[in-house]
Amino acid sequence: MTFMEVNNLKKVYTPRLGSKGTEALSSVNFSVDKGEFVAIMGESGSGKTTLLNILSTLDNPTEGEVYLDGTPLSEIKDKSISRFRREQLGFVFQDFNLLDNFTIKDNILLPLVLARTSVDNMEKRIQPLAENLGIGALLDQYPYEVSGGQKQRAAVARALITEPKIVLADEPTGALDSKSSQSLLELFESIHQEGQTILMVTHSAQAASYSSRVLFIRDGRVYHEIYRGGQSNEKYTEKITQALLVSSSRGEYNED
Amino acid sequence: MKISFISKMAWQNIKSNRKLYIPYMVAAGTTVAMFIMMSALLTNKFVQERSAVLTSLFGMGTIVIGIFSLIFIFYTNSFLMKRRKKELGLYSILGLEKKHVNTILGMETVIAGSISIISGIIVGILFGKMSFLILNYVLNFPVEIEYSIGWNTFGLTIALFIGIFFLTMLFNITQVTFSNPIRLLKGGKEGEKEPKSSPILFVLGLLSLGAGYYISLTIADSMSALTQFFVAVLLVIIGTYLLFTAGSIIVLKLLKKNKKLYYKPGPFISISGMLYRMKQHAVGLANISILSVMVIIAVSTTITLFLGTEETLSIRFPAENKLTMSPPDMSGEELEQNAEVLYDRVEQYTEEQNLQIKDGVKYQSVNLFGNLKENVFNIREIRDADGTMLLLFPLEDFNQMSAEEYNLKEGEALIYSNESSLNLDSFTIAEKEYNAISLKEVPKMIKANTQIVDTIIAVLPTTQDIDEVLSYNNEQPGNTKTQWQAEYHWNTTGSEAVKKDYATEINGITQADDLEVSGFYESRETSRQEWYSMNGGFLFLGIFLGGLFTIGALLITYFKQVSEGYDDRERIQIMQKVGLDKQTTRQATHSQIVWMFTLPILTAAIHTAFAYPIIHKLLMIFGIMQHKLLILCTVGVVVAFALIYWIIYRITSKVYLSIVE
Repeated sequence: MTFMEVNNLKKVYTPRLGSKGTEALSSVNFSVDKGEFVAIMGESGSGKTTLLNILSTLDNPTEGEVYLDGTPLSEIKDKSISRFRREQLGFVFQDFNLLDNFTIKDNILLPLVLARTSVDNMEKRIQPLAENLGIGALLDQYPYEVSGGQKQRAAVARALITEPKIVLADEPTGALDSKSSQSLLELFESIHQEGQTILMVTHSAQAASYSSRVLFIRDGRVYHEIYRGGQSNEKYTEKITQALLVSSSRGEYNED
Repeated sequence: MKISFISKMAWQNIKSNRKLYIPYMVAAGTTVAMFIMMSALLTNKFVQERSAVLTSLFGMGTIVIGIFSLIFIFYTNSFLMKRRKKELGLYSILGLEKKHVNTILGMETVIAGSISIISGIIVGILFGKMSFLILNYVLNFPVEIEYSIGWNTFGLTIALFIGIFFLTMLFNITQVTFSNPIRLLKGGKEGEKEPKSSPILFVLGLLSLGAGYYISLTIADSMSALTQFFVAVLLVIIGTYLLFTAGSIIVLKLLKKNKKLYYKPGPFISISGMLYRMKQHAVGLANISILSVMVIIAVSTTITLFLGTEETLSIRFPAENKLTMSPPDMSGEELEQNAEVLYDRVEQYTEEQNLQIKDGVKYQSVNLFGNLKENVFNIREIRDADGTMLLLFPLEDFNQMSAEEYNLKEGEALIYSNESSLNLDSFTIAEKEYNAISLKEVPKMIKANTQIVDTIIAVLPTTQDIDEVLSYNNEQPGNTKTQWQAEYHWNTTGSEAVKKDYATEINGITQADDLEVSGFYESRETSRQEWYSMNGGFLFLGIFLGGLFTIGALLITYFKQVSEGYDDRERIQIMQKVGLDKQTTRQATHSQIVWMFTLPILTAAIHTAFAYPIIHKLLMIFGIMQHKLLILCTVGVVVAFALIYWIIYRITSKVYLSIVE
């Protein structure tokens, strides 16, 4: 069942009137099924971040449309866009984006507070979630008092607490050491198994290998796709690495 | 490195950071200008010629502005440094040694400091001159007040600000020396700890503020008001700083504990935001509060003085003409005879001019100082704040003055005290005991004299009784000699012009060479001009100071908003990413702004309310007795200042919102 559909997405940045713009996305097409864990890979400048910004309604496409659960994103009015983001999407950022003036608990509760949820309801939701993510003991601490991995877990908790339709993760392991990265990815895997749809942008083949499908993006378009299917972890990782290698060599051919 | 290279580099840095440096130099320059304008008043002729109180008052003002300059320049400097940390970190990574970075930074401070000091002095002189010119013109005083700046004012200003800039330089250098490049690169992004609440400081603040308020509320009379005013001000200032720094955190933490209240979008964002930044901004808020109180008090008291000049005159001069005599070493009888001679001449002259004397009152009295212990009045030589004044009248004079018919037997006395609780059944003066008959009311013309200090009025049966007291006092070794005083108050018929000439003539008559005892004559009309010019001068200074302090408050508010804007910007952006909408952003920032606006102005209003008794007592020295005028002026000034502050806040919060959004 198609859950998110991206149709002919195009984004051109025009710095000034009249001057020729930079094309960040030329034509992106793909879809995500409910409960899928999709990784998007690509080099710097390939348009990953632009794509993610459009998917998360932080930016508007020049052409094309994104449908989430049948709703076209362009039809959401400016007024309700924050609400949409709060209720339908969960975000995990590379640099955590936790607020230092809130405790871990308040950081996680932020989207619920913004949605005017009752205190009882909030308390009910946070406890099991925090236990599940292994940060139950850290709730009263401040972000600057805990490690990077713990911060990212808190950020994941903040993304999940609204029970969003889709979690959008932007290089979630980018600022973590390998051990924390691995444990975070295992966490993603386990929430995926519980039925959560996840879209993750990443550089790392290792991170991508936890997904159920990898999309490769370059020069503003999706040019390759690998399904995990029933493959073992090693095989899947190897395929991803190979695809990356091919992509860079093909890039050379193209320049000739 | 060569000096030329360093200065080139420093200048380049200032130019490329002009967005930060220009506001910094404007702020520092304005503080310099404020300081030089304030300190110039210390050596101002008008100020020095009036009274020592005024000089010490302005001395205190100068000290306050000096401290304010130090705090404020440090505040803006740390704001500047915080934004530049990244750049400095980059230098270290690119291979500049710390000492090189330090020399460049030092050079930057030297350049920025000199520009600020020089431009500040120029602006201070120009602005000072200009505002004096404008105020002189607008208020239209009979006597112009000159603005002058002496060399010592320059010296003081330059020395102080070189000192302040040197301290900021040291601060910046230690910042660079004791940090590593990676941390500098991350800049202000490091997490700041949530401030700890310290109940001890809070209690100390409460005590200090309470003590200050207590002094004001329980002040007995004008003399003690004069001596204790500075103590009270100091206590209130300390209390304000402590309460703002410690109290605000305690209150915010309590609010945070109330979950139902805290976990709502508006309070959630604003309470946590305020708590987070309170440590830095409590001082700013306290500064604004104190400057606001100063504006309010300076302007309202001087307006009251100016508008109350007529009242002052009517107290000083119960009638249009006033003639006093107080020759040394003379008995009551002798003075009476001598006074009659002079009075006759005055009356004769009046008759010659075809004028009539109306409401004439003549009396003699003796004025002593001491203290009352149980029923015994001990005369003392030193006049200090906790003593009591004793006014002695012979019965005959008192009856004439009050138009009453009191009768006293030998050994009886009428006793009036301005402390209504005092109820004596006997009264002992100069080792003689009188049966006290309590007096409920005294004539208005002498009641005015009883307001400044604790006063007892004693009416004794005969002039001889008072002579005895006098000689008893004058025989005591170490006591100041005291004498009788005769007073004559009267009005005349005739036009204004006639009265003016009459006053000049009478002045000559009372000073005539052939008089054994000459008199001292004053006319209300001639004094009027003098009083108006003096009170006008005070009004002038009040408005000038008010303007100065308002500029101070404006500067702090502006910088607070800008720095808070930059601090909050990132937080708001993150929250918007996770679903904070524009409307809630506005609501939250709005409530934050409203609090930051109301807190200082509310504090200022409360301080002013508590300061009211002591200020009223101080104004009594100038003859302002009525409450109505002072209350009206104070309320008016508070409202007007709140309005001005509100405008300032509207403008600066726009700046804030534009940064945040």
